[in-house]
Amino acid sequence: MAVQDRVAYRNVGQGIERLDGDEKVRGLAQYADDIPVPDAWYGEVVRSPVAHGRLIRLHFDPAFDFNRVCVVTPPDIPGQNIVDLMGRDMPFIADGEIQYRGEPLALVAAPTRALAREAAAHIKPEIENLPALLTLREVISRYLDGAKDLKELAAQTIVKGDIEQGFAAADRIIEGEYWAGHQEQLYIEPQGMVAIPEPDGGVFIQGSLQCPYYIAPELMITLDLPLEKIRVKQTAVGGAFGGKEEFPTLIAGYCALLALKCGKPVKIIYDRHQDILFTTKRHPVWTRQRTGVKNDGTITAMQVDFVLDGGAYTTLSPVVMYRGILHTTLGYRCPHVSVNGKVYRTNTFPNGAFRGFGAPQAIWGLESHMDEVAAALGMSPEAFRLKNALHLGDTTATGQVIAEPMGTPDVLENNLARSRFAALLRGNSHGIARDGKYHGVGLAFFGHGSGFTGDGESRLKSKAALDLEYLEDGRAGVNIRISSTEMGQGTMTIMPQIAADGLRIAIDQVRMPFPDTKYAPDSGPTVASRTAMVVGGTVFGAAEKLRKALETFAATALFGGEEVELDDNRFTGKLSGTTRGFQEVASAYLKQHGPLRVYNQFKLPETLRWNQKTFEGDSYPSYSWGCNVAEVEIDALTLELIVKKVTACFDIGRLINPVLAMGQVEGGLVQALGYAVMEKIDIKDGLYDASRMQTYVVPTVRDIPVFDIAFIEYPYGHAAPGAKGVGEMPMDGLAPAIANAVKAALGVRINDLPITPEKILKALSAHQPAGASA
Amino acid sequence: MTTMKKIQRTWKINGESRTVQFPPARRLLDVLREDLDLKGTKEGCGEGECGACTVMINGELAVSCLLAAGQVRDGAEILTVEGLEKTPGGRLIQRSYLENGAAQCGFCIPGMLVSSYAFLRRHPVVNEESIKDAHAGNICRCTGYVKIIEAVQAAAERWPADEGKPS
Repeated sequence: MAVQDRVAYRNVGQGIERLDGDEKVRGLAQYADDIPVPDAWYGEVVRSPVAHGRLIRLHFDPAFDFNRVCVVTPPDIPGQNIVDLMGRDMPFIADGEIQYRGEPLALVAAPTRALAREAAAHIKPEIENLPALLTLREVISRYLDGAKDLKELAAQTIVKGDIEQGFAAADRIIEGEYWAGHQEQLYIEPQGMVAIPEPDGGVFIQGSLQCPYYIAPELMITLDLPLEKIRVKQTAVGGAFGGKEEFPTLIAGYCALLALKCGKPVKIIYDRHQDILFTTKRHPVWTRQRTGVKNDGTITAMQVDFVLDGGAYTTLSPVVMYRGILHTTLGYRCPHVSVNGKVYRTNTFPNGAFRGFGAPQAIWGLESHMDEVAAALGMSPEAFRLKNALHLGDTTATGQVIAEPMGTPDVLENNLARSRFAALLRGNSHGIARDGKYHGVGLAFFGHGSGFTGDGESRLKSKAALDLEYLEDGRAGVNIRISSTEMGQGTMTIMPQIAADGLRIAIDQVRMPFPDTKYAPDSGPTVASRTAMVVGGTVFGAAEKLRKALETFAATALFGGEEVELDDNRFTGKLSGTTRGFQEVASAYLKQHGPLRVYNQFKLPETLRWNQKTFEGDSYPSYSWGCNVAEVEIDALTLELIVKKVTACFDIGRLINPVLAMGQVEGGLVQALGYAVMEKIDIKDGLYDASRMQTYVVPTVRDIPVFDIAFIEYPYGHAAPGAKGVGEMPMDGLAPAIANAVKAALGVRINDLPITPEKILKALSAHQPAGASA
Repeated sequence: MTTMKKIQRTWKINGESRTVQFPPARRLLDVLREDLDLKGTKEGCGEGECGACTVMINGELAVSCLLAAGQVRDGAEILTVEGLEKTPGGRLIQRSYLENGAAQCGFCIPGMLVSSYAFLRRHPVVNEESIKDAHAGNICRCTGYVKIIEAVQAAAERWPADEGKPS
């Protein structure tokens, strides 16, 4: 199957250089803070110093001349003071009850950043303090007591079979609890946005963002403007990882509100301190897994509680939890499943999108727990997983049948063999150091739902357009018009690869300009590992339509009615064998008819069924699969944990660009390494306890393990060229693989991320009798 | 408001003589980006941790966010990312990053490239360890560093014999 259609692809499958690369290595790419904006004012946010309270009034210091600046408070908001995300419970500017420390109380703009900051410092809030709930630990202690006084932001269950029957059929029931803290995206380019007032009363927003079509519709009700008067264009984006999914709506809103009031362009570029303290993080999680198994290793029941700390407002947390619960049991055959997902409010900055979107939190618990279950049965980690891994024809927790060939269990088998896992197991220290080191190897196996959950893609109706027109360099060519953004992952390279192959023309005839809502239809947000699969498929379909349109034109206008085929960048008459180049035909078309736009819309298969209320049916259009093996070494004296080697195998469908795909995997694994062992940020007095790169530590080049990475391609059958998505998958499984390796090394399980030397010390101390030494 | 007395410096930036006036405490990063319109150099943290603002001054690496521009003497030679393509070695390392897929979002890349260039022009012993040492001050959140190491290795193999000096 794959071999046959591969012949048709000339660009797809090739590791071509990224098309936006030259401007990046020459320092010419323009990020949000680089675009020239004449006469721009600078915006600042006045923030709440308390985590929960009631705003009584704002004091404007009479010693400061506020005539020099522009101030926006709730009465200045033209429309509704609502951030139009899920729940609609978050105001743009707090008015009355304050729900988190750092919540905006007023906005200020001034001709210089220094003056804006000075003005902001002269606005003092008077606040009545209220009791605050600040951490997931407090939430869970109340949850286990019955949760009566908790504010529930979202809840969802998954039920398959009869969980009691499943436990009754079990010989053993194994239970475990797993925790993970916040994680900061730490894209190297901080958040940045510019809003320029337009002569027609509208506003033009440019900046560092993932989802142009989140911002425009979400700001409509706040700015009281029709959609067409809010234009959003993406600048070059210096990393995002989910952190520029929903959050940019806030900063765009601050800029737009200020710009519309003061009549000047307004720019906000966060410094790193602001960016860490006052942007979204990965949701902290507590998850409890109870698994029933027979003595032969067969899983009979999986019961899961999955609780996220949503922060102060609903934002996207329900969807993060939905993806989370769908991954809490994914990968394993089990007839009786019961999953209970919750999101609770804390008085902290709202948590948000971060690469993996709930799946890493779920797989962290699941894959730590699967090792515990195997150990309780006296089975090896790989034998237990091989016995229970999903095969073609099996069903998931939602009743979805694995109906097309996929990488489960192939990635598991492949990775076990390549890593020589069984042999490595024999080197595990089990708490007895040799040569001053503990050694351990750990395994994780996991799936990742590709695209939006359930029928989300059907509801979104993602559109792509191709414009046959004159390109920037004056030649006739094709511009790809989609709202999917380049943020380092390679959208601007893979889309021309896909379009060129759908058109069967040379890739240098195709361009993808930066998304701009003025020109590009809504191809959906750049999230959920959906871009290559869904938007790639939509672009491919559009390219085929445009090819047929051009063949028809060429046949009548240039080939005397003869049937014509476009292939390999030239049109060939089927009877005469006469050929004309793409340039010639495209130019002729443009001269006769002017620019041509072709649309295409993504459609899920008619057979897909999904019940959003009961979470039954096909929870994702398809799945990517992964397996990670981590080899760790822990210094017996310092307890420093070093991840020496990671062996990984992934099925991400068809590889569009193997070099870019490998880059996603390597980068994602290193981000997952940070999540696993070093990235630590807690809440202190309602605020994050790290606010700089000195205190929020991420992996440097010194921290990376040796990698051995392989791909197995099971293309997605419904949308050519058949990618399934790679962006999030590498974030999913490394933390539990490392935790399992740490258990193998020390004989002690750490069930709380990140696994720091302090936690190892604590766990060892609790495990060993006083006076015993390693 | 009193106007602060400005100081003046003439530097050789990317091979060109440029004269600029600025308040004494102004960061070199701001003078480069705002006063000289060399926006290739990036601010990632403002505290010398991320290395996105790395430039070369008289052959030595410096994080331009921590350096008051007034501390850079008249006549100093400054190299930013924009100057790399003017030398064969600089263009080589840029090309090697592209060929090896070492740039993703690209925001750390100006500083990373300057670190690679400063490393290679000393004609060092190039191996994984020495490359890691040379780039330990530059944080990249996208690539996992693997392809950056490969790009530097590949560039080292083709490094022009007459560019830079043995240290």
